[in-house]
Amino acid sequence: MTDSAKKELIDYIRKEIIRRPNVQIEADTPLVSSGLIDSFSLVDVLTKLEDVTALRIPAGKVQPKDMDTVSLMLKTAQRVGKPRR
Amino acid sequence: MSERFPPVPLPFPTLTEALLAAPQEKPFVTMWIDDDDERTFTFGEFTRWSNAQAASFKGHGLCKGDTVILIMPQGVALMAAFAGAVLAGAVPAILAYPTFKVDPAKYRFGLAGVSANLNARLVVVDASLPTEFLESISLSERSKLIRVDSLPPVSGNSDVTHTPCKSEDLAFIQHSAGTTGLQKGVALSHGAVLRQLAHLVNALEIQASDRIYSWLPLYHDMGLIACFMLPMVHHLHVVMQSPTDWVLQPESMLHLISRYKCTLSWIPNFTLSFLARRVKLEDRNYDLTSLRALINCSEPVRAESIDSFGGAFAPCGLQPTALQSSYAMAENVFAVTQSGTNGSVAPRTIWIDGGKYQSDGIVVPVEKRSVERMTFVSSGQCLPNNEVRIVAEDGNALPDGHVGEIVIRSDSMLNGYYNRPDLTALSLRDGWYWSGDLGFLLNQELYVTGRKKDLIIVGGKNIYPQDVEEIAFSHPAIHNGRAVAFGCYNANLGTEEIVLVAEVEESSSLEDSSVIDRAIRGSIVAELGVVPRAIYLKPPRWIVKSTAGKPARSATREKLLAEHPELRIS
Repeated sequence: MTDSAKKELIDYIRKEIIRRPNVQIEADTPLVSSGLIDSFSLVDVLTKLEDVTALRIPAGKVQPKDMDTVSLMLKTAQRVGKPRR
Repeated sequence: MSERFPPVPLPFPTLTEALLAAPQEKPFVTMWIDDDDERTFTFGEFTRWSNAQAASFKGHGLCKGDTVILIMPQGVALMAAFAGAVLAGAVPAILAYPTFKVDPAKYRFGLAGVSANLNARLVVVDASLPTEFLESISLSERSKLIRVDSLPPVSGNSDVTHTPCKSEDLAFIQHSAGTTGLQKGVALSHGAVLRQLAHLVNALEIQASDRIYSWLPLYHDMGLIACFMLPMVHHLHVVMQSPTDWVLQPESMLHLISRYKCTLSWIPNFTLSFLARRVKLEDRNYDLTSLRALINCSEPVRAESIDSFGGAFAPCGLQPTALQSSYAMAENVFAVTQSGTNGSVAPRTIWIDGGKYQSDGIVVPVEKRSVERMTFVSSGQCLPNNEVRIVAEDGNALPDGHVGEIVIRSDSMLNGYYNRPDLTALSLRDGWYWSGDLGFLLNQELYVTGRKKDLIIVGGKNIYPQDVEEIAFSHPAIHNGRAVAFGCYNANLGTEEIVLVAEVEESSSLEDSSVIDRAIRGSIVAELGVVPRAIYLKPPRWIVKSTAGKPARSATREKLLAEHPELRIS
């Protein structure tokens, strides 16, 4: 997965989901298990993940633990994502 | 306790007999993960699986009256293990399965405490439960730990392997709110469960053709009683998904109600706001005409949540009378009250004088447009053989329109907290259960206003502020004893969120605020499983103290809200 996808996801999570100044996140920063975001925000993150990867991701094949870091999200997208129709 | 009330005709004397009498070919549970990954079990298939489990458990030495701990992910395997234990005459208790958010050390600590109290003969876990947790389970010389498959047996016979039991025998233990280590095991008899279900069936006019939808966890009373025991005993079809599957595709709830034409569902209040906000206008192409009761339960019922959901999904055929409310608790098996019991009216909303309510605890109805009004939604009227009293601090009953503690008496009350006569004596007095909830009665309807003990309810999950504060104290930069946690209602989410304010030991620590914030935040998630909305770190001597030198919760809360008005706006 490209670095630009990684960067776009990180920017989105920082600006649209966490929305707290001074919070820096990296590709391997735990997000849900660290309390930076709650499980209910994952729906928005999943939609963004579909956008940046241009894949359709069946939510039923994803568990919240697969979405704990940006790196895991991108791996999950590769594992379960399907080409968009 | 049930002798105080007129007897209720019960279709079966025990849960065992109810399951064994089920129509074999009728669908019982559909477990849905995705449209291409779902499976339906008939009552016959489920009973055979449960029978196989009962036989296996007996083979492991399980005897009548023994307790059984079940630690398995949400699914039909867990349900079959539960029913199998009941068929074997034993007393199962479902414990929450660990998630990736849980701190393993804290989970192990909780597991050790709960399992020691239950003194189980069998501890049943699924094949994937990490071994690191097993060592923490308290096992006596007569206990045994077994792993079970998540798949049904390839060939099961329908031979009845059940152990007969009586209505007054213990059926199962469900755990009340609290952090894992402090959870209380609510011991319930077959008779209490069946009487509660009979009242629900009557109040909601449930028919064999009704179909339930649920994403609720089975270790919680709403999931266990309304969405497992009710369909099992009254032979209804339930369409189920796990909470973790639901959270990543919340609109799947509407998809399933629409596809399976479900008629009944129970949800905590936040679900209404969450779905109204989440599901885009262009995606609201569901058919919700089948839904006749979507029952708001387990956290305070909010008028704006009902309005936003009702408005958002009226074009999908949602009937205004479908949105109902209930007041329930594990100690009463489940529901105490239910709104719209004749199926024709929505729960009553009232507007009251906020000043009089806050200063005197008195309810004075006002016009909807009044400036200082407060809004409350009724949780309905008592179910048959359920009584509610509102009492003052001195224990005396209060008249209608006065706020006090809600105490309950019914024919479906707990036998007691399992192995905890001390806790039972505190809560059960002269046949009345002291709920710790605050509320008032008006025209025979119950309005729940909050918790006596500052409980914070986040998405239906009860969080004690003391637990949040303890976590803050454990951080070396925080002054021990100088933190206050409270709930702050977020109308957008339809639930309360946790706000924590804590004093640092040294003002210089405030330069590291973001590091401290992140550490405390991580611990709160790991220990309590919820994400706090905001953590405010303050310099020494900021928190308001009471005359006894302890943090004054409400005064500190007001001070914080004055300094941070953004908290008042969700």
